[in-house]
Amino acid sequence: MKLIKILATTTALALTASFAVADEHDGPDIFVIGDKPDDPFWSRVKLGAEHAGLVAEMHGGSVTWLGPQNYDNLGPDAAELIRQAIDQGADAIVAPNWVPEAMDPAFEAVVAAGIPLVIFNAGGIEAADRLGALNYVGTVDYRSGYAAGEYLANDGQSNGACLNSLPGAANIEAFCSGFQDGMIESGGSGSVLQLPATAFGDSTAMAQAVRAHLLQNPDIDALFAIGDQDTNAAISGVQQAGRMGAVEVCGMNFNDSILANIQAGTQACAIDQQGYQQGYFATSILINYVQYGTTIATREILTGPGIIDENNVELVIAGVEAGAR
Amino acid sequence: MKIVSILLRRPASASVLSLIGVLAFYVVIGGVDFGQLIGAASWVNYAARIGIVAIPVGLLMISGEIDISIGAMIPAGAMSTAIITGYYELPMVFGILGALALGVVIGAINGILAVRTNVPTLIITLATLVAMQGVVLAGSKLLTGSASVPLAAPEWAKFMFGQFIFGGSHQVVIIWWIIFAAVFWFVLHYSKYGNWIFAMGGDKESARNAGVPVDRMTILLFILTATSASFVGMCHAILFNSAQVSGGMNDIFNIIVSVVVGGVILTGGFGSVPGVFVGTLTFAIVNKGIDFTAIDRNWSNLIIGVMLLLAVAMNENFKKLALSSAAGRPWKSKDNSPQAAAKEPKT
Repeated sequence: MKLIKILATTTALALTASFAVADEHDGPDIFVIGDKPDDPFWSRVKLGAEHAGLVAEMHGGSVTWLGPQNYDNLGPDAAELIRQAIDQGADAIVAPNWVPEAMDPAFEAVVAAGIPLVIFNAGGIEAADRLGALNYVGTVDYRSGYAAGEYLANDGQSNGACLNSLPGAANIEAFCSGFQDGMIESGGSGSVLQLPATAFGDSTAMAQAVRAHLLQNPDIDALFAIGDQDTNAAISGVQQAGRMGAVEVCGMNFNDSILANIQAGTQACAIDQQGYQQGYFATSILINYVQYGTTIATREILTGPGIIDENNVELVIAGVEAGAR
Repeated sequence: MKIVSILLRRPASASVLSLIGVLAFYVVIGGVDFGQLIGAASWVNYAARIGIVAIPVGLLMISGEIDISIGAMIPAGAMSTAIITGYYELPMVFGILGALALGVVIGAINGILAVRTNVPTLIITLATLVAMQGVVLAGSKLLTGSASVPLAAPEWAKFMFGQFIFGGSHQVVIIWWIIFAAVFWFVLHYSKYGNWIFAMGGDKESARNAGVPVDRMTILLFILTATSASFVGMCHAILFNSAQVSGGMNDIFNIIVSVVVGGVILTGGFGSVPGVFVGTLTFAIVNKGIDFTAIDRNWSNLIIGVMLLLAVAMNENFKKLALSSAAGRPWKSKDNSPQAAAKEPKT
């Protein structure tokens, strides 16, 4: 049987080859655990990590992105990827703490193996402290809302409403309470419009609710929406209420149509989590730590909120074309 | 060379060749550090997770039926464990038994529908797959208000189902997988039940006429597939201290690919437990090993597809080899072809 012979020879050759080329380089091998790289937000995070990785490559190291194949089992899959990174001989690991119950034991294994760790995107500095990570790189939801409130109040608006289309979700509550505080502390007043949970993702329901709310409360002159779809719906609601120009709208996240709205002046601002920065800084901190032993004394590196308005929208559009925003 | 030709007739040979081929491909083309790959836990853990389900599914496919509701049963097992013990805080043993009992019930429904109706089992289990996805999501939302439930398992349950072994990242389900494989290997290849399963896959009517309790065996096999899936879900919930509602659609295809690469023929009557075992290992190495290569992991599905086609093509050839030799002279070896099983029923 020739087939067997050929296969056996190939395998033998392959084995020798692999031991021969088993790389002995010195540079830092950083493993970044994130989400599926085809997700728009995570593709930016990945690009940031890869750009930071150019420095690792300069030292003869590498940056490897490990992401789940689907969203079926996010927490356990990510925990498995963290353990896989340990097995693959990671010199340092970057990972988000999405589901603490499922992922904390894997993080503990990283720390127990003496591998430097940075938590990014989710978990906050509390997770980094609890798990013994070097740092947390990411955003704080409350501050994102706060930035929007502050921006609108400083822009001359006095009465803001946060459009909560997902009541009960902790991050959305944080956006809204941050927005209220941002308005109030900059001299305005703030409130929250609670919508039924079915309104999330339903542009018509959102637009109708905004229209009705604005007609009942004519003194409201600022709105904050918690996602890009809600933002577009809110603008439509303002138009239907006949208050264009009087009511300013700010929203979390952005897409092409939101950037066009900011350019055209129908939307005041968008709050960006700046995912590129999360990948870039988290990876960069670890490359330098492994290579030179340097540390960042600032704990809790906030990569957002970044504000997009008419002043910087052109630059943002250029960043979108480069895949970084 | 005679020994080689004897080996090639074994139902496991296609999967062994696939395994060698995949390893060679990864090492030569992908530049994998072979020692690192062998020492890594990720692919063994993954192989164990799908392998525990793949073996009973392999038996079912040898008997000529198929079960795709396993995709929903893995999350269903995890969620019932987490809801019973994590949310309602009942003792762990109720959570474990609840998950397994759910598997028995759904398996029995599949099996009874399969023997009482003329509907193909692909359609029956497609229906239970979709229905269970609905039950799990709606049930979890109704009972707990959430699609994700935390679970704090006691020490003994962690030790049995959710610990890490060899002091590293290997999960204890690997040991369960080996136990499952050993038990089913004995059942399929050394007991009368194994002969019955091969006979059912060869020709159901003849098997019935020869006195094989076809209906009872079919129901039993469906119970085994569903229960093994809920067992895997239960282990997963205990290991990761939580469970979440999920589709599990990928698991279905991954498990069936493993079985087919493992030398089981879709029309039934041909296959082996060692073959499925190696087929699962091969599939897991393709799927998880790509992270160890320089190859973009987006290509992994292409490699799986090509491997599947090659394995099926090899299976067909090896089956012909095996059948022609079985017809030619009385082999002493344990021939797993339906003809052989029918000719020499063990008593």
